[in-house]
Amino acid sequence: MESSDANNKGNINPSEAQRRSQLDRLDREEAFYHFVNNLSEEDYRLMRDNNLLGTPGEITEEELLRRLQQIKEGPPPQHVEDNRGAESTEDVSNGDSIIDWLNSVRQTGNTTRSGQRGNQSWRAVSRTNPNSGDFRFSLEINVNRNNGNPSTETEGEPSVEPPTGEDLENNQSDTETSRSASPPVLRQSSSPPVARQPDSEMSYAEELNEDISLQRGQRRSRSRSPEQRRTRARTDRSRSPLSPVSESPRRIHHNTSSQTPDVPLVGEAEGSSRTRQHMVIRQHAANSEMPTENTVLFSTSEARPVPQAAGSSETSGSAEPAAPGQRPPTIVLDLQVRRVRPGEYRQRDSIANRTRSRSQTPNNTVTYESERGGFRRTFSRSERAGVRTYVSTIRIPIRRILNTGLSETTSVAIQTMLRQIMTGFGELSYFMYSDSDADPGGSAPNPNVEMAEAQAGGGSGNSHSSHEGTEAGSGEAYEGSQEGGPTAGPRREGRNARGSVTFEESGSLPFLSLAQFFLLNEEDDDQPRGLTKEQIDNLAMRNFGESDALKTCSVCITEYTEGNKLRKLPCSHEYHVHCIDRWLSENSTCPICRRAVLASANRESVV
Amino acid sequence: MQRASRLKRELQLLTTEPPPGITCWQNGNHINELRAQILGCANTPYEKGIFDLEVVVPERYPFEPPKMRFLTPIYHPNIDSAGRICLDVLRLPPKGAWRPSLNIAALLTSIQILMNEPNPDDPLMADISSEYKYNKQAFLKNARQWTEKYASQTTMPLEINEENHKSGTDLPKDSSVSQKRKGSNISGLSKKSRLET
Repeated sequence: MESSDANNKGNINPSEAQRRSQLDRLDREEAFYHFVNNLSEEDYRLMRDNNLLGTPGEITEEELLRRLQQIKEGPPPQHVEDNRGAESTEDVSNGDSIIDWLNSVRQTGNTTRSGQRGNQSWRAVSRTNPNSGDFRFSLEINVNRNNGNPSTETEGEPSVEPPTGEDLENNQSDTETSRSASPPVLRQSSSPPVARQPDSEMSYAEELNEDISLQRGQRRSRSRSPEQRRTRARTDRSRSPLSPVSESPRRIHHNTSSQTPDVPLVGEAEGSSRTRQHMVIRQHAANSEMPTENTVLFSTSEARPVPQAAGSSETSGSAEPAAPGQRPPTIVLDLQVRRVRPGEYRQRDSIANRTRSRSQTPNNTVTYESERGGFRRTFSRSERAGVRTYVSTIRIPIRRILNTGLSETTSVAIQTMLRQIMTGFGELSYFMYSDSDADPGGSAPNPNVEMAEAQAGGGSGNSHSSHEGTEAGSGEAYEGSQEGGPTAGPRREGRNARGSVTFEESGSLPFLSLAQFFLLNEEDDDQPRGLTKEQIDNLAMRNFGESDALKTCSVCITEYTEGNKLRKLPCSHEYHVHCIDRWLSENSTCPICRRAVLASANRESVV
Repeated sequence: MQRASRLKRELQLLTTEPPPGITCWQNGNHINELRAQILGCANTPYEKGIFDLEVVVPERYPFEPPKMRFLTPIYHPNIDSAGRICLDVLRLPPKGAWRPSLNIAALLTSIQILMNEPNPDDPLMADISSEYKYNKQAFLKNARQWTEKYASQTTMPLEINEENHKSGTDLPKDSSVSQKRKGSNISGLSKKSRLET
């Protein structure tokens, strides 16, 4: 550093400050290593998996220590059942970090993340099984409204009142007011892991549960009272501390749930049962043997009996005559990536395949099917006891995923899945819109809903924007998204979806960020893919002992000292644990010899 | 990142035992900006030339490769007019070959080797590349002229401008070539030299 010292001497004050900050940073970096070296393996893993380590030099050792204690003491997330030991964490932080979180998810592991932004709270959970490649991701967004507003009351008891235009308008304004009045809470929740079967076939099942009952309820308040009921019921069951209860007393009356008026949030477990919109995307991936990559798996309502059934039962149970309450909109996204036994879905599929567009009387199910360049999608709508369930099934060729090897499966899959969700939303909204078109009330123009163009969605076809009409809570939301809907379909081949976003606060919605995230990662295909945390953890680890010959970690060019934790790759090269873990989270080869760390990654990492 | 501490060590090494023909130092007090010089090797058209490079060390170093760029114009199939270098170790896998066990000294050495042995099959400058392949004599001549013109500095780096007008006059072909180039600093240089001629 002589040269730099010499250089710096000539410089005066402003640079002096800069230099000092650099020195501080150096100190902190050293402290960081010191800290990491003294961590126990468990603690280290805990902190790493929760992204608490941060960047060396950024935070002080004290802060690290504090974080460690916090994470240790902090209660584990209740709703996440962790199948693989204590790796899941709840990190309550700002909602803005969802992107970061997603980025880390790509490297996978079991994580839970939640955050709040304004009146929205979100919660995302991911779970990965490195061995089977199963992946599950769920995201729940809750928007909390204050019911304290007098205006809210406009929504009269639906059963009594005939549905008039006024009514609708009132409702809308209601929604709006309440929205502006109270900060929405978003919440994300996780759903139970899918059965994992080590099969040659990969299927991706994606369930999208979106509660849109609000909008619908408002629109068709007369016929829809049961739905609103449901909301209430929900409230009872799940209260999350995140969202303060803000229901107007009046409404509460009517509701069964009045006893537990506090939290209008949906628990995750319940999320599935309450699904209004149910989107199932399944990919049936074919192995080498299977020529059927492109075939569509249909999950019509039969395929996904659980959510529907649950939904309906709930409805009936909770249906009460009175309460038209606003129910907090909740969006639940649930992605599952798993392997499926060959033929598991075949039969059902073939049956479903035949259905071009049919109407089932008992269920009132309507199914639409479309196919575009390798993608096949089906929509089905069923109405039962006043509850509509929308199911969208999309089948995507998954060859690419298979080819890239197991280690890559997850991240690619996530991208695909989320893309599907986002595009699917657009289309769903479209679907629903057209559906609601028949409904006279539905077409009432709502001034309140702002159509937010996705920021990402510039003119270019590449942009993805996600659309959720959910929150808007008004029929107009659908109108807004209607534009997006039709476009989403054709674009899908290119994996680009373009739509309009109907969230009023689109800017603050994680979904938009999600869209951006995927946009940004669009060209990611040739980016390095790393190992999952589990895969990394499976690699040998040891402590550096005195007896060892003096060696240097070639990542940080620092000599090992006693007590350092080293990780040994299959090629026998060793590094500091924290050094190599970071590299391996993004890459799959040894930094020295470039040999693939995972056998399965061999194909792609030939040098 | 390990950037700061690692850089500190690397710079120490570069100062105490630099690879032959290579020097590297911190640029001012920017911890993430280095300057380097590579001496053209004997028996190459770059012989006796001194080539300046800019080295920018990203925040994520060493998990990301440093960005290196020639500041001195160089006539080479794999180095473009903006000084960008087409070299696998400068890029992340899977396309590239960067890995954290490499370091700045190793990269500079790789660049030196690339200078000695251009890779016309992975060209950045198509014209120069085909010239290198099919008209080696012309290539050698041009490269030598460029070296003389831009890299034969006897003084400090970044004073190339002063050097320029020495040779600016008698190289009509060069100036036409440099006219085509778009690299900011280079075009600046060539304009200047043209003006002076």
